[in-house]
Amino acid sequence: MTAAETPVLEVRDLQMHFPVGGGILDRLRLGRGGVRFENPVVHAVNGVSFRIAPGEIMALVGESGCGKSTVAKSIARIYRPTGGQVLLEGEDIAQHGFARMLPVRAKMQMIFQDPYASLNPRQRVRDIVAEPLLEQRKGADRATVRDEIAALLARVGLNAEHAGRYPHQFSGGQRQRIGIARALSVRPNLIVADEPVSALDVSIQAQILNLMKDLRDEFGLAYLFISHDLSVVHHIADSVGVMYLGFMVEKAPRDVLFARPRHPYTRALLSAAPSIKPRRDVEEIALSGEVPSALALPSGCCFRTRCPFAWERCAAERPKLQALGDGQQVACHLIDEPERDKA
Amino acid sequence: MAQESETPLLAVRDLRTWFHTFSGVVKAVNGVSFEIGEGEVMGLVGESGGGKSVIGFSVLGLIDSPGRIEGGEILFDGEDLAQAGEERLRHIRGRHISMVFQDPMTSLNPLHTVGRQMDEVLRLHTDLGAAERRKACIDMLESVGISRAAERLKAYPHQFSGGMRQRVVIAIALLAGPRLIIADEPTTALDVTIQSQILKLMRRQIAEKGASMILITHDLAVVSEMADHITVLYCGKVVERGRTRDLIESPAHPYTRGLIDSIPDPAARHDRLRQIPGSVPDIRALPKGCNFRERCPRAQALCAETEPDLTKQHRSLWAACHFPLVPGDVQ
Repeated sequence: MTAAETPVLEVRDLQMHFPVGGGILDRLRLGRGGVRFENPVVHAVNGVSFRIAPGEIMALVGESGCGKSTVAKSIARIYRPTGGQVLLEGEDIAQHGFARMLPVRAKMQMIFQDPYASLNPRQRVRDIVAEPLLEQRKGADRATVRDEIAALLARVGLNAEHAGRYPHQFSGGQRQRIGIARALSVRPNLIVADEPVSALDVSIQAQILNLMKDLRDEFGLAYLFISHDLSVVHHIADSVGVMYLGFMVEKAPRDVLFARPRHPYTRALLSAAPSIKPRRDVEEIALSGEVPSALALPSGCCFRTRCPFAWERCAAERPKLQALGDGQQVACHLIDEPERDKA
Repeated sequence: MAQESETPLLAVRDLRTWFHTFSGVVKAVNGVSFEIGEGEVMGLVGESGGGKSVIGFSVLGLIDSPGRIEGGEILFDGEDLAQAGEERLRHIRGRHISMVFQDPMTSLNPLHTVGRQMDEVLRLHTDLGAAERRKACIDMLESVGISRAAERLKAYPHQFSGGMRQRVVIAIALLAGPRLIIADEPTTALDVTIQSQILKLMRRQIAEKGASMILITHDLAVVSEMADHITVLYCGKVVERGRTRDLIESPAHPYTRGLIDSIPDPAARHDRLRQIPGSVPDIRALPKGCNFRERCPRAQALCAETEPDLTKQHRSLWAACHFPLVPGDVQ
């Protein structure tokens, strides 16, 4: 990727906060000086920025609750972000309404995690796949659409006779192929894939990953690929962002990240992943404890409550992403004070 | 008695558990045999529909209608559990054999405190007094890494996170000092850093207590780090078994090879994953001959005719294949 190339997607300082409502009584707090109301907010995404070049596969990894799916859904505009910009081919779509999103959806489509819940059980496969297409091209010629659908189904490894069937007649892997065909139907440049293989058996997972890679090469697609599985991410991604508690803690090209992870959380994540290979001498950072609540973020660094290296500065000051060369960016105070980095 | 010590803790022989559904008989487990010695960890691996969970439920006598154990023996310490009555099974469950389920969100009762659910095990299976039981519960919670245990006994399951709940489930499973633990996907619902905490905990507890474990999982990586032996299931039958390292390093069955190759390997620099083509056949209408032949790169005419038996292969491996792989073969 050259610097001059316009990214397909650029996300700047994306924020997504969810108010946790509840009734008046839930929010009522009695304290000194009488009654007051609390408006608790889940800080799901707290200022995430990245860019994806045409044809690039960018992966976001992290554990449950780290905000990776919320980032995906904010970009696909299932949510309206609380703050920040989402530039799709230069156009900021962060606050677009429904009507203005329609043409944008021809450029960006989504693949969902659960192939059982993301297809309408009462629609035939051909109608499922044709729906985005017909939405984009009102009054399109039916014969042309039918041919296009048949070609799409063939491309994702299904055949023409499948077009007349219903989702329940397919296995999980085949359903995910239908979901991919639906996303491809409008010829998007960017596909947002939220855990597309985590509901599938490993042999089927390999088929879908291969298909997604082939489609990238064939159509020059870019993917935002959300996953919790590091081996999958290593296989498919060009670059990787690691998220924790709604923050991007590290971001780097794939090979750099896996060879030289710098953030303690990334290092812990890599050493915790089970492997069928006998253990090499990988650095073992075992984490204790669990992720704090996004209702009340810790002061300073989001990771300090579980970090084996944390010291006073980490509670006082929130680290910013800083560039280390080779496209690697890390948000950690250890970069300034490397002498503290002793396990 | 020298013979006594060689008797495996659990020997399952030709187990058949079938489900009689409206759309036909589902032979979920169809002639499965395996053994587990004292202190051993055995991994049961396979994809969805392989029958691995049904084996776990069969051992505990938890198969409900329309399912039925059609035949075979489940010899636990020499006693056939397949023939045991409900009363006898209730005595064995929790006391001698306990189970850790996949989903820590649903395997605890949301209406009772953790303390009460732990106490129940000891009340049913031991004759300890109330104070002793309470102490045993606190000790056990602490040993699975839950701090402020005395306070936490009063908490309800929803007050714990997923990883903490799974620790509670493990604590309950270990409380009565069982000799066999059946763990059905114990870490599948957990995040990877929590998963590694829980796996370490289980390994330590089993070693300390000298218990045996059946670890049921779809994740070959998890099982290869935990198990002494692995049994691979496909369509309700054992297709391969052997010592963990032998099976992972050079499997004899093409299905096992395919499973291993499907795992993205950071060390290997190929662009595409080697995939197993097709999908698992409908278990109500299995093909004649070998169940795997339609997806197998080595299949020949013989595979469509006769079903292969489990036969001795290289090293410690046994595989059900007419054309097994030998070390050094590339599939």
